[in-house]
Amino acid sequence: MTDRGTGGWTGRETGRWAGGWTGRETADLPDRDHGADAGDVDALITDRYLESILAAHARGADAGPTPAWEHPSTDVRQVSDWLVRGLPRLHPSFRFEEALAATLTATAARMRLPLAAGSAGTSGVAGVVVPLEARRSMEPASGASSIGGHEDRLDVPADRRPVGIGRPWLVGGALTSAVLSLVGAVYVAWRIGRGRRSPMARAVRALARTRPA
Amino acid sequence: MVRPAFWKVGRPEVDGPRLAHLDHDRRLVEAAQADPARFEALYRKYVAQVYSFAFYELRHHHDAEDVTEQTFLAALANLAGFEERARPADGDGASTFRVWLFQIARNAVAEHRRRTRRHTQAPLEAAASVADPQDVQEAAVRRDAAASAVDAISRLPTERRQALILRFVDEMTTREIAGILGRSEGAIRVLIHRALRSVARDLDERRR
Repeated sequence: MTDRGTGGWTGRETGRWAGGWTGRETADLPDRDHGADAGDVDALITDRYLESILAAHARGADAGPTPAWEHPSTDVRQVSDWLVRGLPRLHPSFRFEEALAATLTATAARMRLPLAAGSAGTSGVAGVVVPLEARRSMEPASGASSIGGHEDRLDVPADRRPVGIGRPWLVGGALTSAVLSLVGAVYVAWRIGRGRRSPMARAVRALARTRPA
Repeated sequence: MVRPAFWKVGRPEVDGPRLAHLDHDRRLVEAAQADPARFEALYRKYVAQVYSFAFYELRHHHDAEDVTEQTFLAALANLAGFEERARPADGDGASTFRVWLFQIARNAVAEHRRRTRRHTQAPLEAAASVADPQDVQEAAVRRDAAASAVDAISRLPTERRQALILRFVDEMTTREIAGILGRSEGAIRVLIHRALRSVARDLDERRR
């Protein structure tokens, strides 16, 4: 929590709403768009005041002097000052932050692969091999249970999710085609060679040779 | 366990509309759209703000983390479709990444509520985490003030509460809040003005 000063609500101590409560007739109205009226003017003055005290707080200083006619009513001013100092800002734990960062990094890496694969043919981007183990190392630690399984809870249509999860990828269209072609050729040659040496094949051929024509 | 937040992003050195972060966000967004791995800069910049918003809305540490996670994953997944339109000429309703991100966060909070069907009323854990061993009394006063402020805001209707949180905790401008809540700037000003008066009256009545 960021320190915004000390002290609690002091409205009573300063003379309980010295400026008088004047908003009772409008405070409970529905929050809808209204035309310009006295309430809008008050709201505008309040907005300017908030802007000044928030900017002053950001500088680590007290609010600078503002024209008296720009001051909102005392109750609004006191509550505003109190909230600026009293409302804590929060931050998640380091463990959560780092685990989510790792998850986002892994997700981003998976998103990059289809992008790179799609652009490799035209841009000439060199292919990048992402080993499976490297991808696993980017996953959050097993202890970060709140992070795990995010793919299932991600509110994104299935057809827009990154593809290729759980598989190593070879990126680069031309390189991919070449390697696949080479693998295919090797496989065909292996099958042909294996077929010739197969005992069953040899037996069938021997049987065929012994049969009368 | 929460820890102090020290975001000082987007704050100009002079008074005036606090929109200086927009230009910086545009560069970060463009970089992340070109290379998703660079989304981390945006994440680091806004994770505390999104978490704060979620925590104030849900008042539960793990729920806030869950919403924060969903928000950033959804933002990353949909970043390619985001268009930064924050230019002076755009005027009212100008889109910024932060507005877009908090729209996602707001939807994630609503979705989380629908899914869990509960609105936790746990005490503010965060207030207890600021105890300063050097000054226990001051820490206690600070803690009480924080708890009172959070309680007062939690009793507001949803839109008033969200507007105050975005204004005071996330320090957004009226224009940004208008973009997130889908209202006009004038309506947001009135909303915040009335919210402050409601809080003042609520605190006054509880003091009697």
